[in-house]
Amino acid sequence: MDLEKLRETAAEVAAREDVKYLIGWKKGTYGYRVAPGFIEDADGAAELIFSPLCTANLATYLTLVEKLPLPRGEEPDDRKTALMVKGCDSRAVAQLLVEKGIDRENVVVIGCPCPGMVDPELLAEKYPETEEPAEVKWTDDGFIVIRDGEETSVSRDELLAEKCRLCRYPNPVISDIMLGEPVETWEPAEDEGVNEVENKDVDEREAYWEEQFSNCVRCYSCRNVCPLCYCQDCILDRLNPTWVNRSVNFSENTAFNIARAFHLAGRCIECGECERVCPANIPLGKLNRKLAREVRDKYGFEPGLDPEAEPFQASYKPDDPEDFIL
Amino acid sequence: MSANNYEPNIVAFLCNWCSYAGADLAGTSRVQYPSNVQVIRVMCTGRVNPLYVMNALQQGADGVLVSGCHPGDCHYMEGNYYARRRLGMLKDLMEFIGVDPRRFHMSWVSASEGHKWKEVVEKTVEDAREAGPFEGFRRRRIDW
Repeated sequence: MDLEKLRETAAEVAAREDVKYLIGWKKGTYGYRVAPGFIEDADGAAELIFSPLCTANLATYLTLVEKLPLPRGEEPDDRKTALMVKGCDSRAVAQLLVEKGIDRENVVVIGCPCPGMVDPELLAEKYPETEEPAEVKWTDDGFIVIRDGEETSVSRDELLAEKCRLCRYPNPVISDIMLGEPVETWEPAEDEGVNEVENKDVDEREAYWEEQFSNCVRCYSCRNVCPLCYCQDCILDRLNPTWVNRSVNFSENTAFNIARAFHLAGRCIECGECERVCPANIPLGKLNRKLAREVRDKYGFEPGLDPEAEPFQASYKPDDPEDFIL
Repeated sequence: MSANNYEPNIVAFLCNWCSYAGADLAGTSRVQYPSNVQVIRVMCTGRVNPLYVMNALQQGADGVLVSGCHPGDCHYMEGNYYARRRLGMLKDLMEFIGVDPRRFHMSWVSASEGHKWKEVVEKTVEDAREAGPFEGFRRRRIDW
């Protein structure tokens, strides 16, 4: 994508009277780091980037913003928020619109067609982080890693993130402004991770998840980073009734993970953020993708495509499958 | 508890208008069915939070049964349709996480189906018995 055009558009949008700030990606302080940038005026737009390192889903900041009580006599700032989105992020925005988590008029969506992101862990493993800022760029059939002034071209398959391998919507599904031409969609890979677990028998699955969930430290990063986990009163924080005890053990960890995954059933847009931020490397994406697959195959529903759709768990069809009923 | 005198502990969520009345009919008709079920009456299956199922298993149930009106017969018009969708998803998730699918059942029992209630309970208890005591993610220490 043309960075000049991106910055130009961003500057235009950020300078608009009715826009509070623009949320985009900017370079982090070292190595491959990319940080979210909150751009309030046209000048700030010069530091925005869009590269294969921009894995973060910025849609989470739409609901994360703290709404403090206003001092007397002060008017609320109801200007719009502009947001840069990839394909998956735009689905999060669409799903938020479905759930009325945000208003369409309060957000300006700047769509960035996404040819696929690199897996940050895989990248750091093969080409270790440097103290100096490093860069990754797209080429026609892969990536170029630029670190310490040295350019290495890498094939696409080598570094492509898992969520991008499985991606079906690399182009934003909703946008007010589209940057550049839509990218050509690719055939999503078979979801080996979920298949592998599915093919185990019940006891093996239990052992597998016991091992994974026992690592959970219950930092709730997965919940906090998720663009769709935005309940002000989360059941995990609630003490009365206590759905999930605070102790960190296998039982409570499993309960937490079931609750988290279940609350995203029919809502998860598979941006893979939960998995990326997990300090214990629990494959949370597998849980989400398994449920997304069931929702897609059994109920013919895909979240985050149509802002006018009915929410999955708050709607029904008379002919929903009931083969599990006695 | 040794395997041969193991009696499964089943928690059943019954809707007030159909299944609870069905179970009541089974009682008044003197239909004999296993006494392993602990019935919890709810106003509608649509009111059953799927996390109740998880919580019941955590707190010592070996099996969970949710039973409501037949589709189309819901006292609140559509509650059981929502329940079907949600609990269907929950069953898939539980199975994926490694909970034996025999531990969770859902059924439609109307107020006139005392005998169907008996069959459902027999099936649930039998399945839970086969699956054995639930050790998975049950709370290990309950101090209160």
